[in-house]
Amino acid sequence: MSNFNPLLDGGLIGCYLLATMVVGIMVRRYVGRVEHFLLAGREMNVYLGVASLAATEFGIVTCMYTAQNAYKYGFAGAIPGLTNVVAMFLVGYTGFGVKPLRDAGVMTIPELFERRYGQFVRWLAGVVIVLGGLLNMGVFLRVGGQFLVVCCGLNLEYLELTMTALLLAVAVYTVLGGMLSVLVTDFLQFVVMSVGLLAVTLLVLYRVGGGSFAGAWPNVVSAVSERHGAAGFDPFLGTETGVGFVLANLLTSTAAVLTWQPVIARVLAAKDTPTGRRIYTRTAFFFIARWMLPGVWALGAVAAAAAVTPAVLDGFARQFGERDGSLFAMPYYLSLVVPSGLMGILIAAMLAAEMSTDSSYMLTWGSVIYNDILAPFRRTWTERRGLIINRFIVACIGVFLLVWGLWYKLEGDLWAYLQTTGTIYLASMSILLIACCYWRGANNWGAIAAIVVGAALPVAALAVNKGLSVPVVDAAGLPLLDADGRPRTVGWVSHHIGDAWVNVGTYAAVAVAMVAGSLLKPRRAAHAAAEVRA
Amino acid sequence: MSAGLPTPPTGVESALRWFWGLLLLACLVWYATVTVYVAVRGVRDIRTMLSHLRASRAGGPPRR
Repeated sequence: MSNFNPLLDGGLIGCYLLATMVVGIMVRRYVGRVEHFLLAGREMNVYLGVASLAATEFGIVTCMYTAQNAYKYGFAGAIPGLTNVVAMFLVGYTGFGVKPLRDAGVMTIPELFERRYGQFVRWLAGVVIVLGGLLNMGVFLRVGGQFLVVCCGLNLEYLELTMTALLLAVAVYTVLGGMLSVLVTDFLQFVVMSVGLLAVTLLVLYRVGGGSFAGAWPNVVSAVSERHGAAGFDPFLGTETGVGFVLANLLTSTAAVLTWQPVIARVLAAKDTPTGRRIYTRTAFFFIARWMLPGVWALGAVAAAAAVTPAVLDGFARQFGERDGSLFAMPYYLSLVVPSGLMGILIAAMLAAEMSTDSSYMLTWGSVIYNDILAPFRRTWTERRGLIINRFIVACIGVFLLVWGLWYKLEGDLWAYLQTTGTIYLASMSILLIACCYWRGANNWGAIAAIVVGAALPVAALAVNKGLSVPVVDAAGLPLLDADGRPRTVGWVSHHIGDAWVNVGTYAAVAVAMVAGSLLKPRRAAHAAAEVRA
Repeated sequence: MSAGLPTPPTGVESALRWFWGLLLLACLVWYATVTVYVAVRGVRDIRTMLSHLRASRAGGPPRR
């Protein structure tokens, strides 16, 4: 039973949502050109950039997958956060990849690729980016709705209506104000989100400590140690973590920092290159905080094992038609411990996080569609027409989110799903960017080969996993059962190769394809193409 | 919920427990500090951004 009070908590949430909508719509009058709509006129300075990046990259879905990782793997589950910090700081500090990208003055990454690899590669890159990005984003709305249902005790019947209303609110200010509205509302959402995050974390530590902060840490450590042993602290020891897990996350983090469009958009929207790099170095530490703080909430659930039982979690999984109940451990625990009043602030904070993420992502994928996929068609378009088309694209993405997100059923680990769908685009785009910036021998043959291999391998792995499965057994060789009492299964590729090694292998294969494809292109054709572009 | 001291860890595990504990503390302190600092400086950034955009709409050159 949740502590959500419709009057008190609902009132707090309503005030916050109203303020966000008003602010988001008011800045519409500053939008006069496509550059204002997509990049806020490149007027973003460091602190607004930090707030915006932090708010964009923290949604309800972030809370859910970071908490699920902590629940399943202990502190070792936060490794993706650590790799993200290292990657973002080093990239910002050195300017690797991002300096040439920002110096080029482009609006999207495929636009840079056209200058080196030609128009077809730009178009193909745009298609892969949008496909991977939309598949990735497709679960955001659903997972956000699941959080609200479990944490607030919301009736499942109202889930779709609630998420539709939320999406409409986000779509309105994103369509009208574009990146400008997104930046200003991100700032507001960052403040609300941060207050909520800190308040709930302190509450959870207080509760885990049995009514004191002094007892919190020993109890958390004890709970992790009992559930996971040494593997709860050392990622190299776990059966589901290990070397492959660490390596895959290092590659994913580096690629995301270089080419994940919602992240790199902050660099491209910065007023100049040094500002863009400073945004990265000064935001880097946030990326471990966003894994650790919700992770602590999940560890509170681990410590409260008497209340947060497998039977309860399996019940939630059945309710949503999914197999893995570990995703619901954190929101269920919060529903038990967060009192009214603070619950309203928490939900407002989570909605803030979700709205900032959804608005930024809708705009981001919309900008790639407009700027790159529609590039061959928009040469004669006026600014006014460009604005209208951009707004229409964002609205269509909203419709896609609604249709896909509310009805798609997740199978297994949320972070694994996001990592695999992300790899479809991240592997090839990061290799293309690095080659574009630092290898004179790179050409369009290598780029096309890299894009095809980068998309084909993860998709093939997903397809094989869907078609061929292996029963999961315990140490005694007895089959394990899922929430419905059916034998639990895992995909053939996941069992025999491992999702992490599929991701690592994809990056390696893409790099080989880039080099081999570029070297295979006849020199005469390569020189002719270079002369045409010069 | 279990209470009391955790079981004695090995040397590596002990070091890792310190690492995660200090990291959690750093996250809390950093987050609280940055929230206040970014909130104050961010307001100034928004004012500057909007004034430049106002000027740009009135006919000034766009920034690159």
